[in-house]
Amino acid sequence: MSAFEWKLKGRCYRLGHDVPHAGGVIPNRLIVGRHFDARDLVPHLFAETDPGFHERCKPGDIIVTGRNFGMGPKMNGYIAMQALGLGLVCESMPFLAYRAAVGCGLRVMTDCVNATEICETGDELEIDFRNGFFINHTRDIRREYPPLPDSLMEIIELGGNTGWLRKWHADRMAATDATPAQDRD
Amino acid sequence: MGMTAVEKVLALKSGVKSVRAGEVVEPDPDFIMIHDGVVMGAKRELDALGIDRLAAPDKVLMVTDHDVIYGSARAAERGAFNREAARQWGVKNFFDVGRGGHGHVFPMETGMLLPGMFYFDNDRHATNAGAIGAFGFRMGSEISRVLATGTNWVMVPKSVRLRIKGRLRPGVHARDLGFHIATLVAQGKLDIDLDYRVLEFAGDLDQFNLAARTALCSSPTEMRAYGVFVPPSAEILAYAQAHATRPFTPVYADADARYEADAELDVSRLEPQIALPGGVHKAVDLSEVAGTAVSHAFIGSCGSGMYDDLLTAATMLKGRRIAPGVRLFIAPGSEVSTRRMAREGLLQIFIEAGALMLPAGCGPCNDAVIGPVHSGEVSISTAANNNSGRFGARDAQLYLGSPATVTASAIAGRITDPRTFATG
Repeated sequence: MSAFEWKLKGRCYRLGHDVPHAGGVIPNRLIVGRHFDARDLVPHLFAETDPGFHERCKPGDIIVTGRNFGMGPKMNGYIAMQALGLGLVCESMPFLAYRAAVGCGLRVMTDCVNATEICETGDELEIDFRNGFFINHTRDIRREYPPLPDSLMEIIELGGNTGWLRKWHADRMAATDATPAQDRD
Repeated sequence: MGMTAVEKVLALKSGVKSVRAGEVVEPDPDFIMIHDGVVMGAKRELDALGIDRLAAPDKVLMVTDHDVIYGSARAAERGAFNREAARQWGVKNFFDVGRGGHGHVFPMETGMLLPGMFYFDNDRHATNAGAIGAFGFRMGSEISRVLATGTNWVMVPKSVRLRIKGRLRPGVHARDLGFHIATLVAQGKLDIDLDYRVLEFAGDLDQFNLAARTALCSSPTEMRAYGVFVPPSAEILAYAQAHATRPFTPVYADADARYEADAELDVSRLEPQIALPGGVHKAVDLSEVAGTAVSHAFIGSCGSGMYDDLLTAATMLKGRRIAPGVRLFIAPGSEVSTRRMAREGLLQIFIEAGALMLPAGCGPCNDAVIGPVHSGEVSISTAANNNSGRFGARDAQLYLGSPATVTASAIAGRITDPRTFATG
């Protein structure tokens, strides 16, 4: 677990308020078509608003959004962000969108008040999702935002819900194997 | 400082003295519900991880309500898959085709879901539990974690309170009130945010029976409420007691509970409402669209599929026929209701009126697996919502009304005030 990198350092990609998940983040047809494979989703991240985004972004880049980001409890866009190694910082997002992002293992922070007012696309940002530290190196601005709740960090460290379940199952199997034979049913 | 209803239930089920909105807990549910549309995804996910046993198969309710009559080979294949999944998982509470009905209706009617309970569900319409004074939380695809481990993390939602003042007039239904509340919230005229909130009702609630309380849960859910709670009245407690399959303890908010918002709404002058195509939050007085011709009508869904809703429709239809050119679908919420309708003559009334009886379940209000609308058609129904394409062509016009309004409109062939019939 110690290898997981909670701190991201990269370029800012700033978006406005009320960006919906369908269309604003990823084309609706991929949501309706129930595409969950990152290989299918990555080429289409922000495709309707910024074609080619997935080729220009780099691991560590941070998407900073305004209020009410990603409406809809869908995971597709966050799967693509996670696969690209991006982070997400939002002024606010509907809770179920936040839950979907956590479930995909995306490094995400919400309730970051006025975050879009202290950065521009292209700024050099450094975000520590474990403690909520936000640094804009380009503008020499520092903020401290609400970090992820402790209980959700493990899900993200393990790559999301599926990774969490995989570990849970492996731990249970290991415990069963360690149980003396006479104690088993 | 006291707790709201949801805080009290989640504290109780999480084994702690108190919780506050924003805390993360892992409650131990009274049961776990999964419907026919998502069993395949959950089973395949767990199988791929090597997880072949559920944490608590005795707590699992599998319900077939979304696609009851297989209209395609794919649906039949899914039904077969689900039956095999139930067998492999050891799920005994498997309410397959013809066995239970709508998963958000029949557990309340049959005393499985009782006041004070908490359960996990894959589906967001689990909010209906609030009608009987319980909570059901939507997990979406994360229901697989609940199945495997018995629980999942929950962030305790904030609660908002709406105090109802006055009585609805005759001919005005709780569903009308639901559309009205959604519209006031959307327009900012009720200063409450419903996103991931629990909407707790208060005030003059004794006028609402279980069916009406179920109707009240519907529209806030479409406005992204995560829970709705109607504190159980003496009538509701008596109903629960009479049907209970196990002991229960009702839960009420503390008098000094803290709410994010506290609003009041006088309902005594409310008119029958029509939700215009595009959302439950686009409601207007029925008089504004009266006379609009319709060709498709539907009574049922999680919002209006209780026996009393069907009784309202049958009472109006008795001795009448629906208008030429209109097809009216009736989808009871439960097999219990279907049997009672047969015993009490309601089925006869519907059939003689020219309505089409569907099996208990979601009816057309699920991806149009049955009874869809065609391009350009105009529909009026009690569906959970009327978002574009909800049950058929995206360019169809989907209006919503109360069961009484839909019935009156099906008889007249155009959107009609139900009081027209009530007053003769």
